[in-house]
Amino acid sequence: MIEIKNVTKRFQDKKVSVTALNHVSFKVGEGEVVGLLGENGAGKTTLLRSIATLHTPTEGEINVGGYDTVKQSEKIKRRIGVLFGGETGLYNRLTTRENLEYFASLYHLSKHETKVRIDELTKMFGMRDFLDRKVDGFSKGMRQKVAIARTIIHDPDIILFDEPTTGLDITASNVFRQLVQELKQEGKTIIFSSHIMEEVDLLCDHVAMIHKGELVYHGEKEALYREENSRDLNYIFMSKLVRGTEGYAI
Amino acid sequence: MLFNIYIKELIDSLRDKRTLLLTVFLPILMMTALTFFYENMISGDEGETYTLAVESGLSSEQEMVLNNIENVELVTVEDLQETLLNGDAQAAIVFEAEFDEKVQAGEVGNIEIIGDTFSQNTSNLIYLVTSQLAEYERILVTERLINADVDPGITQAVAIEQTELSTEDSNIMLLALLIPMILAIAISVGSSPAAADLFAGEKERKTMEALLMTPVNRSTLLLAKFLTISSVGTIIGLLTLTVVIIEIAFFTEHLKAAVNLGDQMILIFAVGIIIIILYSSLMGAVLMITSIIGKTVKEAQSYASPILMLAVVPLIFITGLSVNEFTLNHFILPFVNIFAIITELIFGIVNWQHILIVIGSNLAVIVIIFIISRILFSKDKWVID
Repeated sequence: MIEIKNVTKRFQDKKVSVTALNHVSFKVGEGEVVGLLGENGAGKTTLLRSIATLHTPTEGEINVGGYDTVKQSEKIKRRIGVLFGGETGLYNRLTTRENLEYFASLYHLSKHETKVRIDELTKMFGMRDFLDRKVDGFSKGMRQKVAIARTIIHDPDIILFDEPTTGLDITASNVFRQLVQELKQEGKTIIFSSHIMEEVDLLCDHVAMIHKGELVYHGEKEALYREENSRDLNYIFMSKLVRGTEGYAI
Repeated sequence: MLFNIYIKELIDSLRDKRTLLLTVFLPILMMTALTFFYENMISGDEGETYTLAVESGLSSEQEMVLNNIENVELVTVEDLQETLLNGDAQAAIVFEAEFDEKVQAGEVGNIEIIGDTFSQNTSNLIYLVTSQLAEYERILVTERLINADVDPGITQAVAIEQTELSTEDSNIMLLALLIPMILAIAISVGSSPAAADLFAGEKERKTMEALLMTPVNRSTLLLAKFLTISSVGTIIGLLTLTVVIIEIAFFTEHLKAAVNLGDQMILIFAVGIIIIILYSSLMGAVLMITSIIGKTVKEAQSYASPILMLAVVPLIFITGLSVNEFTLNHFILPFVNIFAIITELIFGIVNWQHILIVIGSNLAVIVIIFIISRILFSKDKWVID
């Protein structure tokens, strides 16, 4: 469903070229939940943005559902939902309903489709009490629910979350985890970046590890545990970085 | 789609009550203050009474000369200097000890006027006193010439006649200065927060990424946001103009008398509205670029601050010029041409050639800025934090 083929992304910062992704390749199958692990600045966000068509790879290509992210970005955008951060991407002066209606219109949903979808999401996320309240003043948990609802208003097959629980309290983080479980049951393909190993362990069936722009590991989580003879993802991640395929330095 | 985005952006911008309150009411407040300041300035000489300090012992002749000056009240004091320093009088006059005797003898009588001309009131008073004394001197000279059997007409070598070309009330020049300036400030200051919020604000809140992830074309997004900024500017511009018209019509006498738009009033207002829309669009386009470049609202506002100076810079080119002195350049240069065309309209002139040049010139600049904005808006560096 998502095929990342030898992707390199370089950013030009004045006269210095910074390589954010270096020849990264892996595939994500339909219905998989993939945890993207890496330190800050490892290239996780760049990879997610590249999958989301926001960045053009310097080299290589990415296919999402058979479409190229550069040449057929419009088709991909209809099938993908992205949330950068846990509770971001909302208009504070609009109500929950107005936020959802606005994004529904941007995804070309009809008025009837929008109404049905908002009803579904309201039930799913328990947003009835604050559906017609302005987002400004919401708790982080409430904002997060609205943000995720906004992300999947068009019922995408693929959902990308970039560090969704960073800065959130334990209640809001648990809300996110419950919602991902529900989306997983619906058969959605999910990739989310995180450096919270417990979260990845709980939610993901696949793991991809990135270090300094290079893919250190990608595969099934259980296979990784068997391979490493441990179920401590934190330990495995650190040892992967130390060993690395070509001797990564931490 | 464009309409949906435009409406949402407009609602979002207009719901920012605190910013709106400041950006709408501050220019209106400023406009009101300036309107009444100018009105007061025009009528300043009429009701104002000035105090002229004199020493005791004025002769009846001297008193008669000074008492003839309108709006001037004489006060006799012991210490002239102290009276002036205390602000109890705006100026003082001193006749030399044997002034009357010298004048009677055909000699020069000396008079000293004391005052601080940094004060507008003092300047006005000194002008009134010197005018009266000049008239007194003219009478004395005429008497002396008659006594010497000389025709007083001999002193007149040149006769000057001034013909005023303009039929306009001279106070209209103040309006020609006031209205474009306030409109320019109101529109630019008023649309600045919306501009900063619609690009830099969206980047800061990360709504921009969410927006770019939708299948909406970036040109459509850009156009909708540009229209929103321009609409906010237009609303504020029209509101400010309405307030100033009401204030001039109902609360001023001299400024009201100065306006004489004649039969073309409706046409002038219609063109005025087009000019306001045009200026709002021009300013909106410029502010849009500062917001695209800015990573945060604060950064965008820092970039916009010097741009806002553009609102008043044209005054340098326009101030002191009559409408007859405007050249083609005044109507071609963006920002300056808005001032020039509004000045013409205030004078009741509807020159279609000038109006079309102004519209064409501004539209060309807006299109160029829009193309630059579109190029910037397609680059990750400027769009995604």
